[in-house]
Amino acid sequence: MEDIAKFVVDKAQERGAKYAEARLQIDLRESIIVKNGVLEASVFEENRGLGIRVLVDGALGFASINSFRKNNVENALKHAIKLAKSTLRVMRQKISMGEGELGYGKVEVKPRVSFGSVDLESRVNLLKEADEQALHVASIVSVKAPSRMMTLDTWITEKIVLTSDGANIYSVTPRAALFALITVFHPQKGTAQRYFNLGETGGWEVVEKWDLPKIFHNETYSLSRILIEAVKPPEGEMDVVLGPEVVGIVSHESCGHPSEADRILGREAAQAGETFLKPDSIGLRVGSPHVNVVDDPTLKGSFGFYLYDDEGVKARRRTLIKEGIVNEFLHNRETASVFGVESNGSSRSVAYNREPIIRMANTFFLPGDYTEEEIFEDIKDGLYIKSFMEWNIDDRRFNQRYVGLEAYRIENGELKNMVKNPVLEITTTGLWSSVDAASKKLEFQAAYCGKGDPIQGIPVWTGGPHIRLRKVRVGGAHI
Amino acid sequence: MRLDDIPLYIVDLAKRLGATDAAAKLTESRRVMIRFSNNEVTVSKVFLESSIDVFVMIEKHRAATTISALSARNIKKSVENLVKIAKSTPPADIYAPLPQGPFTYNSELIKAPKISLNPDRLTLYVESAVKHALEKGAKRVAGTLDAHRSRITLATSGDVYASQEKSGIEISVRAFVSELATGHAVSVAGKIEDFSPEEAGRIAGEIAKAASDSKPGEPGRYMALLGPMVFADIVSQVGSLSSAFLVDAGQSFLVDKIGSEVASEKFTLIDDPTLAGSFGARAFDDEGVPTRRNIIVEKGVLKTYLHNSITAKKFSVETTGNAGIIVPYPWNLIVEPGNKSPEDLLLEIDDGIYVTNDWYLRYQNYRTGDFSTIPRDGMFRVKNGEIVESIRELRISDNMLRILRNIVDLSRLRLWVRWWEVEVPTLAPYALISELNFTKSTV
Repeated sequence: MEDIAKFVVDKAQERGAKYAEARLQIDLRESIIVKNGVLEASVFEENRGLGIRVLVDGALGFASINSFRKNNVENALKHAIKLAKSTLRVMRQKISMGEGELGYGKVEVKPRVSFGSVDLESRVNLLKEADEQALHVASIVSVKAPSRMMTLDTWITEKIVLTSDGANIYSVTPRAALFALITVFHPQKGTAQRYFNLGETGGWEVVEKWDLPKIFHNETYSLSRILIEAVKPPEGEMDVVLGPEVVGIVSHESCGHPSEADRILGREAAQAGETFLKPDSIGLRVGSPHVNVVDDPTLKGSFGFYLYDDEGVKARRRTLIKEGIVNEFLHNRETASVFGVESNGSSRSVAYNREPIIRMANTFFLPGDYTEEEIFEDIKDGLYIKSFMEWNIDDRRFNQRYVGLEAYRIENGELKNMVKNPVLEITTTGLWSSVDAASKKLEFQAAYCGKGDPIQGIPVWTGGPHIRLRKVRVGGAHI
Repeated sequence: MRLDDIPLYIVDLAKRLGATDAAAKLTESRRVMIRFSNNEVTVSKVFLESSIDVFVMIEKHRAATTISALSARNIKKSVENLVKIAKSTPPADIYAPLPQGPFTYNSELIKAPKISLNPDRLTLYVESAVKHALEKGAKRVAGTLDAHRSRITLATSGDVYASQEKSGIEISVRAFVSELATGHAVSVAGKIEDFSPEEAGRIAGEIAKAASDSKPGEPGRYMALLGPMVFADIVSQVGSLSSAFLVDAGQSFLVDKIGSEVASEKFTLIDDPTLAGSFGARAFDDEGVPTRRNIIVEKGVLKTYLHNSITAKKFSVETTGNAGIIVPYPWNLIVEPGNKSPEDLLLEIDDGIYVTNDWYLRYQNYRTGDFSTIPRDGMFRVKNGEIVESIRELRISDNMLRILRNIVDLSRLRLWVRWWEVEVPTLAPYALISELNFTKSTV
């Protein structure tokens, strides 16, 4: 593999590229889809190829090709250079690659239980057992679970990133992920739905640890209770506790995305949008002193794990908001050059045929010093939003909406009845400024973050502890 | 072995190894993309790829793979492995043999119009879009130009062996007068005569200019005019969630609605890949079945889900020619036009809102259709048939079925829409919707 990468980088420089990068990536994936207890499909995929980036006279060109033959690779390189040169007349500012701590070496995540040691039948049986648990618990609660869908993916990403200025990283990363959608139904109550993702870096031991039958039991039980028991939520200004699942998505959407330097510069303006943060927003207060949000690719076992990014830069924890103040942006080498800083290793690509761009990895709200009891205990009348389904945020990452799924009334510090679909529709600074406490216990959820064109759904974790918001306005769904 | 011969070879090999059914689809594609922002190009990309999707069945035992390393040795090994896996796969609930051909295909759909991928020419389109947006008052312009040519060669155990070309060109242009005053437009075409980057730039610039000096909008239920970009987003949800696979998974608000009124009688939605020269045109689906014009919703009544042969057997109907081997998809969605101009529709609003674009559509419950989406780019307050001010910061929070039933009227003018938010090419009119619910952030 390294020979081909070196060939590309050398040839690119011969042809006048000031910077060249070759990324050979092979994703070996096995997926099974079980719908309503029946195996719909087993899919095996080998997605292998080469992604090339070149900087020619300040213009950036990218080419992908899934042949490793030297003449084909050279042809792709020629195309990338020609295309980049053609666009020079529509460029005012030349692009350059900034500094970063470039890596040289090998990063291999070794699974404890290899995916190859678990046959298809065992995988299917595990999902069927989980499905049976969903049906079983629904029947106990006197609802039906007419639709259940789950997809189990395991894959190994092997890649080499080689750049003309010295980065050379070989990595092997196994990942496992599960997507599930459960629908429960009651003739008088209608339907309720829950979807969730699980995902980690590691081998089959990750899936074993999840205990899928137990997760499906608990999720279906909770969803059934929501359908049967949840009542109209109170409306108005009140204290709200957000559970780790909600805190995770808030941290991702309202801190991680706004902190992406390419958005700040407008590079994603026509697709994923921009951000309310500006190049000079470092030091800006956006929340209370209790708000500390980081993004950290180096968490072992995390879904967004990596030690070197796809430009070969060493990864590290990025403190995005520190005590309520914007502290750092996410950078690749291109934006690092514009901002006059070093890249903090945020460049990621989901496959060989996608351009590496600035991405989050594992974005989470740092734990505070409250116990969970203390978070709730002095709330006289409020809401606890544990999980969510619907959410969205505007393309400046400022106006957002989270519609609770599992949610409870809080009275005198105690959880009371379930409430149905409470709506938190709030600004980013409004939300972060209302935080007055965070609990000690940190939890994570898996997700796929979408960005770029062509869009890239990249594995991430989102997470946080329980946090308490003081006096925010909550409404009902009203639809 | 020539590339063209590989699909037949794979089908033959799979059958010899014990498969009852096999399909092999070779896709050879060349695609060029130029992305731009702040009036200049940020990156240009070329994708040169060939891969083969293979599907085998041993009656109820199914497995699929994608092969990207096309050496003879790797192909043979991959097919042998796939059949072996299929043999060990637990059975599905039904067996539907792949459709038996040979079929006759519409010759107009086999060949695609020529789209140039010449970098200099494509760069000119970008320059033109930017120039026209700036001329209309935009200060900065961002977007993506994407042009592609591909050829699909399909062989199946149902005596299918056929090729079809596909090509298309599209540009998505977002113009900014300021951070809060933006406009977005697209041009999506299957042939170059229908492609107009100038028009996309001009419209984006005009909307951005009109969106200047916006004020926060007030939440409530309004008569709303949805521009083609917004209505295409709604319509593509109907098209995509009419896939029988998703209906069976409960991931659709169209479950158990065949024969029911799901929309106003003004609304007819067709999936028509037989429209030669359009972006989503195609001659056959992934099972080799000739594509056809499927009326999904006719005058408000849901007529069909979209099927491949497996979902068709499950639902006891015929395939609609929309395979996806695993999941059926719409190819080319078309909303039947109304009789009025967009201006006439605006005149019907006494007190309402005109929305030009939206994004980030998410469901609270796919089964009920409860969802929200965020208007972005120009949004305007309308009184007595006239735009009176630019507004912002509202969210559409409603229900798909209610919106469809609240369609008051549609425009005669329609635009092809496809972009980051709308994946399926969709020919959408302006739509007048009554009682559309808008919400907003409160802190």
